[in-house]
Amino acid sequence: MRMVKFLKMLSISVREGTATRKYPFESPLVTPEFRGKIEVDPVKCVGCGACTRICPPKALTIGNEGDEIVLKYFEGRCIFCGMCAYVCPQKAITVSKEFELATWELGDLYDEVVHTTVKCRICGKPFTTVKFVKEVEKRIDNKVPEDLLTVCPECRKKLTARKIGSKVVGVSGE
Amino acid sequence: MSHDYSKLIDELSRGHRSRAILSKILEVCGDSVLDLSRRNIIIKIVIKANCLRTALENIYKEHDLYLRTIAASDERSREGLFKLYYVFGIDSEGTNLVFEVPVAEGAKVDTISDLFRASDWYELEAHDLLGIEFNGRQMSRLVLPEDWPENLYPLRKEVSVEELKKMYQPQLISRVSELGVEEVVRIPVGPYHPALHEPEYFELYVRGEKVVDARYVGFMVHRGIEKLAESMKYDQVPFLAERICGICGFVHSTSYVQAVEDALGIEVPERAHFIRSIVLEVERLHSHLLWLGVALHLLGYDTGFMHAWRIREKVMVLAELLTGSRKTYGIDLVGGVKKDIDKDKIPRIKETLNVLRKEFKELVDVAMSVPQVKARLTGTGVLPRGEARAYSLVGPTVRGSGIARDVRKDYTYAAYHYVSFKVPVYTEGDNLARTLVRVDEVFESISIIEQLVDMMPGGPIKAERWEPQPMRLGIGAVEAPRGEVIHVVLTDLYGPYRWRVRAPTYQNLQAVPIMLKGVDLADAPLTIASIDPCFSCTDRAVIINLRSGSVKTLPIEVISRRVRENG
Repeated sequence: MRMVKFLKMLSISVREGTATRKYPFESPLVTPEFRGKIEVDPVKCVGCGACTRICPPKALTIGNEGDEIVLKYFEGRCIFCGMCAYVCPQKAITVSKEFELATWELGDLYDEVVHTTVKCRICGKPFTTVKFVKEVEKRIDNKVPEDLLTVCPECRKKLTARKIGSKVVGVSGE
Repeated sequence: MSHDYSKLIDELSRGHRSRAILSKILEVCGDSVLDLSRRNIIIKIVIKANCLRTALENIYKEHDLYLRTIAASDERSREGLFKLYYVFGIDSEGTNLVFEVPVAEGAKVDTISDLFRASDWYELEAHDLLGIEFNGRQMSRLVLPEDWPENLYPLRKEVSVEELKKMYQPQLISRVSELGVEEVVRIPVGPYHPALHEPEYFELYVRGEKVVDARYVGFMVHRGIEKLAESMKYDQVPFLAERICGICGFVHSTSYVQAVEDALGIEVPERAHFIRSIVLEVERLHSHLLWLGVALHLLGYDTGFMHAWRIREKVMVLAELLTGSRKTYGIDLVGGVKKDIDKDKIPRIKETLNVLRKEFKELVDVAMSVPQVKARLTGTGVLPRGEARAYSLVGPTVRGSGIARDVRKDYTYAAYHYVSFKVPVYTEGDNLARTLVRVDEVFESISIIEQLVDMMPGGPIKAERWEPQPMRLGIGAVEAPRGEVIHVVLTDLYGPYRWRVRAPTYQNLQAVPIMLKGVDLADAPLTIASIDPCFSCTDRAVIINLRSGSVKTLPIEVISRRVRENG
């Protein structure tokens, strides 16, 4: 009896039947928690770039393209960790359950959100998005003088330096 | 230092073992010990390089002591010195003994590879990557390729990742231009293990049917992960760490975050500890089932292989339900986790575990009753206890040779101190012993998860805020399915200054030639597989070509339509 114990496997196999699913003809097994590709809501996104700074494989990038600021998502690099959705202050990024991403066209793997820019009041360079400035205004309740919101970081530095300079000169002159 | 050390030793030691070790070190090297301190379970001894060997000669026979890892680091920009951190473990009291050894540029350090045989590769690696020289041993290249330029040490701070990338481009381009075509695809072919699907190479010397000697050549999968992490932020590194291994990635991300948390004294909420422990055990279940399947396949019992993997599939689905992904779970962050385990998932967890326990028992009963399986596992690939100790081995490999070393018990972490579980130990040291250790561990893991979900406390899953500090040393260790994983982190302001990863296979592989001696050739594949090797983990920071002798591999360049730049 002991010698033929391994034949018991036959009854297990009969009980379990076929384990393989007939994917793609049968739906694949994906739980409700599955993390697939991400989707960026272009309405909610303000182009702050928080997602691009945390993205471990740099699948999300942001940069100036002419007069626009473009947030780019390249599925080919994405590791589906969901950190972008985790850090997004606007809740603009959602993690979908989509994983069937094979394509013949490389371009299909790119997603973009294009933002109109604010140009620096002093040097004229586009430095941030219109929506980002609006969001900052909303969050700080209009407490910052508007002219500071429309000056790029470099010019702002110079401006502040000049102000301090004139104050110091003013004090010593009295 | 003053000559009456007894009070200091009382303050620092964590038990009689560390007391004995500290007294001995101070007795023989008192004047060369620059500093002594303790933080939690880490006793740190800053010692002059010229006295390190003397100190270790006096303590290496201590019963519990084993070498866990050596981290070399370039701190010239801060203190004008390189540093070596030798991490030893004292199992019985869960103490980490860290020797911090300052090494001036160009100075030589005495080898300890004859005292602690495991240190062999660490020393070679420190030389390859940082240019640290060792006295009293033969030096050869271990991790860098043959054609790597002399005097270029990739882990030195003055060498940037960008520069290293550039070094490889011209080679590839010059080869392509030699072919005289515009576009080429490079496809590496071999060497691959027939069962493990990973690049590594064993040379077996056989007389008749018996293996009389064996040599391992590895380090073929360079990814430069440690260097890459130096340019990443704290919360990005867990995702990189998880990709060190495709089978047990979560142990690496957990080791890393634990090392950072240890270094910076971050309080992690209890619930996060529970979630980490549950997911770590789920990972062990899938890994052991995978291994058992592969082992049965190597024994020619493919029915068992199919059923092991059928059962494993239930664990994969469970992992996805708990974390969002079947593998590379991606939920570890410094200070906690980013995904909670909701209450409504607990019945599903328990249900899966019940099915698993029943079906796994059924499978093991049947598989172990197959006469050929039993015959080929019993008495093959024997690893004696003494060798297992001398090589500082870890995991099921050491536990199959009668040593109950388990990080979960000895240096407890996450939520393991809340649960009761056995550490299965077999003394035979053969392939059967290592198999049975893993079989028993599956049942233990099921029980651990059941206990954890029942006890899970409420509350937050992540520390609200924490402050980074520069140059703090932290150690994080996790009992991976294959054995102990240990990460050493030196902190910086935005990310790790130095991150040293040591995977279990790095330690265990060096003992495989011992197991292979005297086995029948037919049993060699299983014997190699019996340590559950993970070559990519071991190779995490390395590139190498086969070199020396008549063995040679050449890349095969296949002409096609596209250039793949990074190979």
